[in-house]
Amino acid sequence: MTRYIIRRLILAIPVLFGVSLGVFLMLQLVPGDPALVVAGDSASPETIARIRHELGLDQPLPIQYLTFLEHLLHGSLGKSIRSNREVMTEILERFPYTLALALAAVVLSTVFGVAMGIFAAINRGRAADFVTMGIAIIGLSVPTFWIALLLIMLFALTLRWLPVTGASSWQALLMPAVALSLHSAAVKARITRSSMLEVMGQEYIRTARAKGLRERGVILRHALKNALIPISTLIGLQFGSLLGGAFIIETIFGWPGVGRLAVQAIFNRDFPIIQGTVLLIAVAYLLSNLVVDIVYGWLDPRIRYN
Amino acid sequence: MLRVVCLIVFGMVLLGVVACGAPASPASVAPLPSVAPTSAVVPEQSKLGGTFNVAAITDPETLDLHQTSNPVASTIFGWIYDTLVYQDLDTSYKGLLAESWSVSADNKTLTFTLRKGLKFTDGSPFNAEAVKFTFERLKRVGAKSPIFETFKNVTSMDTPDDATFVLNMAEPYAPIFHDMATSYAGILSPSAVKAANDDIGRKAIGTGPYKLKEWQTGQFITLERNADYKQFQAFYANKGAPYIQELRYKVIPEPTTQLAALDAGEIDLLGLRAQDVPKYGGDARFKIYDSYTFGLTYLGFDTARKPFDDAKVRQALSYAVNKDEIVQVVFEGKLAKAQCCPIAESIQGYDPKLKEFELKYDAAKSKQLLDGLGYKAAANGPRASPDGKPFQPVLYTTNSDTHGKIATLLQAQFKAVGVDLQVKQLESGALLAATPKAEHDLYLNGYSWNEPDMFSLFLSCDRVKSSNRVLYCNQDLEKLIKAGRTELDQAKRMQIYVEAQKLTMQEAPWQPLYMPVNKTAVSTKIKDVKQAQSGGLLFHDAYIAK
Repeated sequence: MTRYIIRRLILAIPVLFGVSLGVFLMLQLVPGDPALVVAGDSASPETIARIRHELGLDQPLPIQYLTFLEHLLHGSLGKSIRSNREVMTEILERFPYTLALALAAVVLSTVFGVAMGIFAAINRGRAADFVTMGIAIIGLSVPTFWIALLLIMLFALTLRWLPVTGASSWQALLMPAVALSLHSAAVKARITRSSMLEVMGQEYIRTARAKGLRERGVILRHALKNALIPISTLIGLQFGSLLGGAFIIETIFGWPGVGRLAVQAIFNRDFPIIQGTVLLIAVAYLLSNLVVDIVYGWLDPRIRYN
Repeated sequence: MLRVVCLIVFGMVLLGVVACGAPASPASVAPLPSVAPTSAVVPEQSKLGGTFNVAAITDPETLDLHQTSNPVASTIFGWIYDTLVYQDLDTSYKGLLAESWSVSADNKTLTFTLRKGLKFTDGSPFNAEAVKFTFERLKRVGAKSPIFETFKNVTSMDTPDDATFVLNMAEPYAPIFHDMATSYAGILSPSAVKAANDDIGRKAIGTGPYKLKEWQTGQFITLERNADYKQFQAFYANKGAPYIQELRYKVIPEPTTQLAALDAGEIDLLGLRAQDVPKYGGDARFKIYDSYTFGLTYLGFDTARKPFDDAKVRQALSYAVNKDEIVQVVFEGKLAKAQCCPIAESIQGYDPKLKEFELKYDAAKSKQLLDGLGYKAAANGPRASPDGKPFQPVLYTTNSDTHGKIATLLQAQFKAVGVDLQVKQLESGALLAATPKAEHDLYLNGYSWNEPDMFSLFLSCDRVKSSNRVLYCNQDLEKLIKAGRTELDQAKRMQIYVEAQKLTMQEAPWQPLYMPVNKTAVSTKIKDVKQAQSGGLLFHDAYIAK
């Protein structure tokens, strides 16, 4: 297993290299000159040229990319065009908030989504099944920003239990985490239900029941563990995506995460920040996929990596 | 994009708020109704304390005074740093850190006598060396600063003694006092800059009424009262440190969330959108203050492209624009005021007499001029160019909601005279890159610059490849721009700008549309808020009711 993990991590290097090159080339296609955006209206053409030179934007593209790689090899993602701070510092300052929000959203959505899925599966065809799946469809259909605004109206303005914005307390995490988890909880509920139904039709479940095991034990120990494989894939993908930032929720709740940093950087044409955040997202996806693969082996002992 | 527009509008509000940073209120402006102080007999001691919470749509990227033009940063600079001069309510410039100054006979040398005994908030003394150090740093690293260009004209600086600072310029430059009064010209503490190894993005130290206490990236910036502060701006009754203990700029990017935060009492001040004015206007918890912004939005013609290189075509289309309708439909008559002239009525240099030169809305005249120029319409169809090709000018603008609505309205107004206007909305960065290439026919955007010298930024030949988005270059106007920049006699200077406006209105590279008007809701627990003549809010006398 250790050799497998090391091999996967080594294989991640060319992937990240490809991502960085792709992002770099794509940024060149984005209309808009960072120097113009930075300089503002008061700058003369000479000043704009000076800023372009200071930022190294007057260099040929291969040189610009090689400079980026050189910085990367020295452990630096370069400096932000706007703040002049290390990109790594900018990202690391916001990453704990993104991590907290992503973890909270994944935990909430997994707990509620899986519970709803199991509940619907064991009540298949009954009213409880329809009601649960109806709620899941609403969760899937309702836009996240709308849910977020409703939460603010209810919990911050009417009940006054939670702050509207901020990130200084655990209370401030609740509304963004709930808003962010609803959509993924609904997806998980639907997948859990179908996965559970498939597993519960298997021979070994009938055998477990025939042995006289209690229904609760059959569902939780035998059915659920096997049904969790597609759900763990989903959790991994969703977690990776959330680590890249949840821009809409972060914007609505004023949550200082990586998503807001990335989008602001796009508006500002802050290329180093954009490159840094995209690399972070790529790393997040690679690692979460690796973790999912390792979890497969735990969930299903037949899966082994050599 | 809405966020970007809100940022600009909000920045304008806050620039008005920070009167000590960029105060201005030209005498020619019809004063807004002033709000009388709400208390007069509250003991000084009981006014102290409290936190004033303000929403900021974004973090400033940096608080390095010389490395940004961010409007939120500019507001904060106004609290942390003092400048050598400030603009009084009567638009004249008076001394802040400078006690007085003299101008040499050739208008090229300014000698400032500085106040003595003042200290930066790190305890180091304020003196001529600090002023020289600041402006030398601006010249060295300040390419991103809005006043960088001004200091290119500065040839040398001398400090004969601790209280005398001499600024030598290559040629006389009239807007120097305006630029030196903006918060970007605050004076840095040299010892603090050296201690930070020149990295002062998060270590701002000045002599201002507040000092930086805490910056949680993406969340808030807290400023703390400078208890040793002495206030020299004449219009404040409080001559000492501010009463409010802390100012907190909370980063709330989303306008709807900002309103929720205002309702929940998490912030005390917010610039309102037109649709929010009725609700908060009737809410006893808030007082609504009107203020003008220092700039306007215009419809420009790309004068480097045919057929808009012809002033007659520009004039013909200018007559098709109904500004009052734009103000009524897009701003519900509340958050904008139609403008006649290139210099907005909030800015020095505006002259109401120029209204007679305005190309006022006259659809019949527009049609008649277009007919005369050979732009004939097919039966019930749009007009074609004289060469028979379809006449479908393309309007470039930002992708903001407001600009989208105005562009749609302009389409309808142009259609009424038979012109098929096409609209292309671009994200700001893309728009900035497109205009110097003259890809557009028409251009809808605004400027924000509290100085009549805005002509040199937006309509001069030097800026055709940058901020002159209509690529207009007229040698007669160029002479007037240069004369306006070098004339230090205010009366003569304003007359030059009257001539420059007259010429611009006749040549019509721009059709000025409207000046944004801010409506700001301020919690009524904030007492003794004062207003400048332009409506900008002044907070040094304000305190928070307990």
